[in-house]
Amino acid sequence: MTNNLTGLANTGIASQYADYETDQAMTWCGGCGNYSIQTALKAALSLEGIDRTDVIFCYDVGCSGNASDKIEGYTIHGLHGRVLPLAAGVRMAQHNTHVIAEAGDGATFSEGAGHVVHAIRNDYPILFIHHDNQNYGLTTGQCSALTPKGCKMNAAPEGNPLEPLNPLEMVLSLKPSFVARTCCVDTDHMIETFRKALNHKGFAFVETLQSCPTYNKHTTHEWYVENIKFIEKEFPDYDPTDIWAARKLVEDPVQYLGLIYHNPKRESFLESLAHKDKNDPMLIDEVQQVDVGKFVAKL
Amino acid sequence: MAQRTKLRIAAQSGAGLLSVGLIVMRALRDLGFYAVADREYPSLIKGGHSCFTINFSTEPIYSLSKEVDILVSVDRPSLLAYFDTLNPEGTWIYGYERLAGIKDIRAKAKKRKITEVYLPTRKTAKDVGGSDLMQNVVLVGMIWKVLGLEFADIEEEIKRKFGKKPDLLPYNIAAAQAGYDEVETIHPIETPKKKERRMLIDGNHAIALGAVHGGVRAYYAYPMSPSSSILTHMANMAKETGIIVKQGEDEVTVANLSLGSWYGGTRSMCATSGGGFDLMTETVSLAGIIETPWVCAVVQRPGPATGLPTWTGQGDLKLAIHAGHGEFARIVVAVSDPTDAFTLTQHALNAAEKYQCPVIILSDKNIAESLVTVPEFEQGKIKIERHLVEGKDLKKLEGADRYKITKSGISKRWIPCSDKDAYYFANGDEHDEMGRLDEDESAGDMYAKRVRKLETIAKELPEPEIYGDKKGADISFVGWGSTKATVLDAINQYAEQGIKVNYLHYTWVHPLTTKTLKKFWKENQNVHLVEGNYNGQLGKLIEKETNLEFAGKLLKWDGRPFFVEDLQTYIDKNKS
Repeated sequence: MTNNLTGLANTGIASQYADYETDQAMTWCGGCGNYSIQTALKAALSLEGIDRTDVIFCYDVGCSGNASDKIEGYTIHGLHGRVLPLAAGVRMAQHNTHVIAEAGDGATFSEGAGHVVHAIRNDYPILFIHHDNQNYGLTTGQCSALTPKGCKMNAAPEGNPLEPLNPLEMVLSLKPSFVARTCCVDTDHMIETFRKALNHKGFAFVETLQSCPTYNKHTTHEWYVENIKFIEKEFPDYDPTDIWAARKLVEDPVQYLGLIYHNPKRESFLESLAHKDKNDPMLIDEVQQVDVGKFVAKL
Repeated sequence: MAQRTKLRIAAQSGAGLLSVGLIVMRALRDLGFYAVADREYPSLIKGGHSCFTINFSTEPIYSLSKEVDILVSVDRPSLLAYFDTLNPEGTWIYGYERLAGIKDIRAKAKKRKITEVYLPTRKTAKDVGGSDLMQNVVLVGMIWKVLGLEFADIEEEIKRKFGKKPDLLPYNIAAAQAGYDEVETIHPIETPKKKERRMLIDGNHAIALGAVHGGVRAYYAYPMSPSSSILTHMANMAKETGIIVKQGEDEVTVANLSLGSWYGGTRSMCATSGGGFDLMTETVSLAGIIETPWVCAVVQRPGPATGLPTWTGQGDLKLAIHAGHGEFARIVVAVSDPTDAFTLTQHALNAAEKYQCPVIILSDKNIAESLVTVPEFEQGKIKIERHLVEGKDLKKLEGADRYKITKSGISKRWIPCSDKDAYYFANGDEHDEMGRLDEDESAGDMYAKRVRKLETIAKELPEPEIYGDKKGADISFVGWGSTKATVLDAINQYAEQGIKVNYLHYTWVHPLTTKTLKKFWKENQNVHLVEGNYNGQLGKLIEKETNLEFAGKLLKWDGRPFFVEDLQTYIDKNKS
């Protein structure tokens, strides 16, 4: 076990972690990256003192979405590819509540690619966990837009004919406010990354490399263990506020983990609304009859 | 008999037509007239011909005529397009200076005994020191004089309209005065005796006001004619009301933003037209299974595909009723005029929360953009009813209360995060009472609960309303939405001739309630359908549900609303 989790056991935070724990049978394959991702998320929330009344979980459709009833808290399980606008709508209603959105690579870079562009552009205050297992798991292993060229997949018997997208290259082209990369083989790193993202005021894109033992034979758990490298260790002078350094980093075939880019000056969506203030009541507390007399008088 | 004055102003799109029309409409309203106006225009920004038709009277009127007694033409293309809608012996007001180019039309006018009221409007505007654009204001002056109305009344309106540019105001007034002074009164109008304050408003604006008054705190939309001005009005009210107004990147986004906000616990709304609604339909289905309120105004235009973007129709009733895969309860309500739009938007928000289902508000281009004089909206009449578990009662809850299988199909609902222990899963997958994924055979019970809600709704929804005498009519109509305006005018018009017309109007269109309808059929022998689509969509639903058969169907699908003349022709032919 990692340091963070051991730390949990020694503090009162353990009970908060336990609140999120389910007694339901999990439905992911043995060795699926989703187990450790979910563990790390629960740990990060507990360490940040965020309990069930402080967070809403929003899920896309796919293996990652099947967590929607396996974490004991308020969740919504929406449509394929559409979790980002759904989560943004939730956050508008409750701007003091953390909103976490999770989706796989099919949802994020195919079905809902347009939403990614605009969620970043709007800087909606959401922690977005991108489960990148480089294939469509729940529909039994077809190519996603992130499957490497040549991989033999369901419905691609001769191998994937296309070059994959580089997800973070696309994300960084959109001038995001927060981009990090982590991996399911390192729970401690995931906890650290999610905690940082939970403290970000805008849209936090967390690329989470994930093994899929059933369908992804090219980037397996073992492959990640051997191949991942850490920004902090490899580039001690790395400046995450430098977008050109970030763009260069994600061009590298090596998957460096860590905080890739952060722009603390960027206005989040809620900050960009001139007529709203973060100290305003949440929209859920504002539902009442509004006098329209002054508008009607002009007609 | 109440005199109906029928006036049409025709001009190229973008030539300031709307401002001429608005000045005249506002001045008429201020004099206490009942007035209706709508704009016909093509889907482009400049060029093409368009017109602004005004009907007004000292007595209540609700719809427009196809033909007019006074035609005002600004340029040649619009003159050619609309000249034949001017009745013989009518009045033609124009300022087009190249008279040689309209020789044929002038000859036609002479043959039809049409009175020409001509002024070289451009020159007239320039002679008083104004600009080319002010020729429109000259026309306003001419119209006013032809109607025999006092100059002071139109001057007042010109001051209001151009008051923001004080340096140009004297020229605008002088241009109007010149137009007024140079022509004769041909069509003298009796002015109303009472000056009651009435608003001048269109249906889209009324929906926006209904939404704000009804507690909507987040409005989302993607522009699409003819729904777009709801977004404009919401955005214009955002600062003063603290509402979040967001233009999403597409309708899928809009629908999901809105559903997310409803789930999060506030009131939200969105609006679109048929094509945009097509994109939203998967989200309608999601709202259905997670039993979360969702309200969308669908402002119809004729389809399929891009269809006729700036014209009207009622072709999307079946879309509204059936949109979204799977079976689940939803409500479809149709507005018919601005007053209706203001109140029904509020009722729709309440119904969405009471029944925890999507509510679709149907409108159409005719309602959306027709300006009508209506009494000032009554505020505070419809209380906000959220039907949420709140406060101390939250402690009595457990997660499984959220989707508890009940006889009525309705379970308790509370805002996420409002209680630590009563958490639940709003699951787009089939689920148990707490929202946990459930693929057992018993999942069918949850499915049935959601569909069963429709029976509860049907029992509680208001029945359709009857206009005119309840029974014994010479001809009866059944309809929904904007057809109401035209039929109401027909009821009044034929009453004066001793012919009884009555009308059964569906406001709550789905689920269909038939008790009043069946009674109406028993008490009236000659029941016809009036509907703005090819198939007679409501008619077919009624026939299927009741085995009743309409004596005839008045249908229209050419993008135009039902005009007064359409009803006249039909009634004259089909009355018993």
